[in-house]
Amino acid sequence: MRMNQRLLIVIAAVAALGAAVDVAAADLAAGKAKAAEVCAACHGVDGNSATADFPRLGGQHPDYLAKALRDYKSGQRKNAIMAGFAQGLSKQDVENVAAYYGSQPVVVSTRH
Amino acid sequence: MNKTILLGAALAFALAAPAAMAQGAAAGDAAKGRDKTQMCQGCHGIEGWRTAYPEVYRVPRIGGQHEAYLVKALQEYRSGERSHPSMRGIAASLSDQDMADLAAYYAQAGAKGVAK
Repeated sequence: MRMNQRLLIVIAAVAALGAAVDVAAADLAAGKAKAAEVCAACHGVDGNSATADFPRLGGQHPDYLAKALRDYKSGQRKNAIMAGFAQGLSKQDVENVAAYYGSQPVVVSTRH
Repeated sequence: MNKTILLGAALAFALAAPAAMAQGAAAGDAAKGRDKTQMCQGCHGIEGWRTAYPEVYRVPRIGGQHEAYLVKALQEYRSGERSHPSMRGIAASLSDQDMADLAAYYAQAGAKGVAK
């Protein structure tokens, strides 16, 4: 019992910490504006890129897109083009752009 | 005269062979790819499936993705350029032809394969 209480406190503390560090909720309108400015030339306004080398982003999971952008930014994922663009995005931009493309009509989907 | 012909033939072969080999490896067969998806389906076939390690996020949707991009992603996992542990292990077990076939299969999945 005592152990469980301790565990609960730890879980609550970790959750609170996570919430505090987290950026504000994604802003779709801001994401759309940023996407049009930075991403659309290659990935398309709706994420349906016309060029085979550039992945389609429409309908992709936002948490995956945000993770990809963070990795490009940190250099963990190496791509000369994307590194440059990701550098120019703030943490909030990353969330906004990821949420925007994720909200677009599904271009990529889960295949059964 | 014969020497010239031989030289010409050798030259033609040298020029043509690499091109033919490159073409052979590049063409993906979607039907064959479908039979190779056992390793993929456990994560990419389940809507909203999340990675567990080293970071938690939903695995990418890949149905309808560009074929060339999918091949490139697999190659980058195999070479270590992309670092996800599970994908590195899986990509290491795939031949160039497997990658081409899988990419062809997933690329044509498209919106008709949309998750429920």
